[in-house]
Amino acid sequence: MDVAAATILGKLIGAGLAMIGAIGAGAGIGIVTSGAVQAMGRNPDAAGNIQTNMILGIAFAEAVAIYCLVVALLILFVIG
Amino acid sequence: MSETKSKNRTWARWVVLAAILLGVFLFTGVGLGIKPIMPEVFLPGERLSETPLFGIPGLYLTNTLIGMLGADLVVFAIAFFVYRGVKSGSVALKGVSGAVEALLEALENMTEGTAGKWTKDIFPWFATITLLVLSANWLGLLPGVETIGLLHEGHGEHSVRTVAGIQTIWDDSAEMAADAHVEDTHAEEDTHGEEMATDDHGEEHHGAAIIPFFRPVSTDLNFTFALAIVAVVMVQVIGFKALGWGYLTKFFNVKHFFSKPIFGFIDFGVGLLELVSELSKVLSFAFRLFGNLFAGAVLLFVMGSLVPFFVPAMFYMLELFVGMIQAIVFGMLTMTFMAQATQSHGDHDEAHA
Repeated sequence: MDVAAATILGKLIGAGLAMIGAIGAGAGIGIVTSGAVQAMGRNPDAAGNIQTNMILGIAFAEAVAIYCLVVALLILFVIG
Repeated sequence: MSETKSKNRTWARWVVLAAILLGVFLFTGVGLGIKPIMPEVFLPGERLSETPLFGIPGLYLTNTLIGMLGADLVVFAIAFFVYRGVKSGSVALKGVSGAVEALLEALENMTEGTAGKWTKDIFPWFATITLLVLSANWLGLLPGVETIGLLHEGHGEHSVRTVAGIQTIWDDSAEMAADAHVEDTHAEEDTHGEEMATDDHGEEHHGAAIIPFFRPVSTDLNFTFALAIVAVVMVQVIGFKALGWGYLTKFFNVKHFFSKPIFGFIDFGVGLLELVSELSKVLSFAFRLFGNLFAGAVLLFVMGSLVPFFVPAMFYMLELFVGMIQAIVFGMLTMTFMAQATQSHGDHDEAHA
């Protein structure tokens, strides 16, 4: 296998591996939302407040997946 | 009267449906035998000209810069409409100004609930960031964005062909002779043209790619980093405004350094960690917005190349949602951090943790 093909292969595999980290963010967002929905079911009056905090929590959990995505994009498009 | 009106409407509906079908027939390969295309993906904003703007080295006219100007224009237009609405003197605002009023009222209630008496200082930042990012994100969903542009030969993998007087990138893995009659490299490319050509196998023929005139500014890391730095710096400014020099004890916590031998030292270390987390806020702000919007753009590219009609509409819907959520999240995180900065990190920390 020549070097160019090996480089492309490595890039693709590496980018795919980098995105494994999105598993954690997915689970985290699911947990956050399930907690928020339960809380809204118990106390519908506080739904607005809970929703705000839920979106904040989702944003923090999602940040991890975004880091993975950035690493994958860097591997694919930036690194020589 | 009403009956004829509704009849007219039904008739118009058939016309629209026929137009859609005609468009599908003409532009999606049924009529012309054209394959859908996966365009080139560029991470940094592409330069539209090779000479720097105003002679400043390093400052080039990129397509994301044009996207920025577009977003600015939208914000100015909103400001103009709201000014006119308020000037008209009516109590209940209508149209654009009414919609903006509803949005800003929701945002202000949110700020009031979190920031309390500092609402007046914090709300303008929240609203400005949200409006700017929202208009920047949604501008990227207009047709023609990221598809009309200059043909750039040299660093692409597609070949060039003229369709109906418009030059476009083209898949000619089947017919290799197609790029013989390409002369003018600077030509416009039709909106649907992008969905017309190529998969990614540029073999021997020289490649070409499209550099769009307009690209949503949130897909440029420079913009998101600039906005993140502005947000985090203003968090510190508001912290100093609220607490004076006492704000620094949040980072260099020497209050109990001597009175409580071990725990004072731990407090000091925690303060230093707080400083690090303040810096990492810039990173997470910038990459959150950039990552979401860039991934959204790539998703639309890929979906458009796989199934050129109907299916992308659903993903456009998703992107509409993501653009709004990310704008609100960026603004809301800024607002929350500012509200946290106004609260003193004293001994009663747990009360509003």
